[in-house]
Amino acid sequence: MSQMLSPDMTIAAEAVTKAKIEVKNLNFYYGQSKALKDITLSLPERSVTAFIGPSGCGKSTLLRVFNRIYELYPKQTAEGQVLLDGQNILDRSQDLNLLRTKIGMVFQKPTPFPMSIYENIAFGVRLYEKISKAEMDGRVEQALKRAALWTEVKDKLNASGLSLSGGQQQRLCIARTVAVKPEVILLDEPASALDPLSTAKIEELIDELQADYTIVIVTHNMQQAARVSKQTAFMYLGELVEFDRTEKIFTSPREKRTQDYITGRFG
Amino acid sequence: MSTAASLHQSRKRKNGVMMTLCVIAAGIGLAWLALILGALLYKGLAGVSLSVFTEMTPPPGDAGGLLNAIYGSIVMTIIGIIVGTPIGVLAGTYMAEYGRFSKLTTVVRFINDILLSAPSIIIGLFVYELMVRPMGHFSAIAGAVALAILVIPVVVRTTEDMLNLVPNALREAGTAIGAPRWVVIRSVAYRAALSGIVTGILLAIARISGETAPLLFTALNNQFWSSNLNAPMASLPVTIFQFALSPYEEWQQLAWTGALIITLTVLALSIFARSLTGRREDK
Repeated sequence: MSQMLSPDMTIAAEAVTKAKIEVKNLNFYYGQSKALKDITLSLPERSVTAFIGPSGCGKSTLLRVFNRIYELYPKQTAEGQVLLDGQNILDRSQDLNLLRTKIGMVFQKPTPFPMSIYENIAFGVRLYEKISKAEMDGRVEQALKRAALWTEVKDKLNASGLSLSGGQQQRLCIARTVAVKPEVILLDEPASALDPLSTAKIEELIDELQADYTIVIVTHNMQQAARVSKQTAFMYLGELVEFDRTEKIFTSPREKRTQDYITGRFG
Repeated sequence: MSTAASLHQSRKRKNGVMMTLCVIAAGIGLAWLALILGALLYKGLAGVSLSVFTEMTPPPGDAGGLLNAIYGSIVMTIIGIIVGTPIGVLAGTYMAEYGRFSKLTTVVRFINDILLSAPSIIIGLFVYELMVRPMGHFSAIAGAVALAILVIPVVVRTTEDMLNLVPNALREAGTAIGAPRWVVIRSVAYRAALSGIVTGILLAIARISGETAPLLFTALNNQFWSSNLNAPMASLPVTIFQFALSPYEEWQQLAWTGALIITLTVLALSIFARSLTGRREDK
């Protein structure tokens, strides 16, 4: 299989940055059925990595291993290693809540909490930090600015998060994630429920955020992967078929299956 | 062509027949309700006066009010709700949150459904054996406990249902931000399901405020003012039961008035509950 990076990619990755997340021989099971088969790849720091592939290929499953959110459900198990800065997060001793403050996640459908815009952001911050009202105001403003939402909501911070439009709600979710100062941001098809304008805004945002965060995005939309990511992983039936620089994946993939998928022959 | 046309005709006929039947059925259902409400209003309103709310239940042949019965109903309902609601909400929370995938939840849900439809007189007898016999006398507290037992299954059911309606994505979002499970439940799931849970509690109040059988075996009745929880206490349903079956005209009138008061209270609660859920669905 071709889970290894191509030689030039390895060099490029080493030259630019170190690996933030390293996945080694990861297998994932939903009960008896195997959803991820021996995945090995490493994601460079402060860079956007895209996971593409047809529905059910395991790309979301892989993303959900990174913050162990799958543990909310019984009978879902992961085997292998996922190293965050060299520490195996699949270790039993890993504090899950602490892990999740380091690895934020934004979901397919916007999921604002049933509270005000301000509280949506303060909620996560308050969990692990005791700060004054003034500091909190600053944090909220900073996070909303970061998510390019500040000018739209600064006069109605006490309005319900649910009163915003879909695109605004999704940016609120990004703001909420950024506010707890994570190191990694996982995006699970963050724009698939949004209109093209909101999508463009989210993509712009991803582009800005990669200066400070390691970003992993799962997307159905191949153009989106091509636009926002530096590396792309193509997955199919639970296997990592090819992982390389995005440019390379979309112009001269080594695998025929990748070629077929990106040219629209299947999927 | 003609086949299609005749087919269309016959379908239209069948549709007409079915619709007529449905309208008649709906009409019959509504008619009883209208008749009951009409009778209650007609007979009950005649007896409404200030003295109903300021005077005690009278001896036969005398004028009086329902104050002690109204007070007893309110006290026992409140205690029943205070005791039953936390148990119901916590059990519902276990079933929908912590034990969502466990066998125990399936078993508890099944038993709860049986309890939900258990005849309330059985609950009355149960509390009679549990409290009234050992204590040696009827008491308001036994009545409140019987009502609490009636409250629990209603609240368990609605709490579980409402929490199950909270999208999993919201729980995942709370978890993904680093919140421990109990914080996700308290600050996200409860908040999202709040109006539904409150509706369940209101429906439970509506349910127990008209219950007679469990009180007959527990709180019994009291002709006089009593705020002693360790003594028999009057309540509207039991007073109605007693007064309506009596041969005295004043008592019968008070029974109608009491019935009207309960009905209007339950109606108001239901409308309030409706408006709460309605607001939730608007979002």
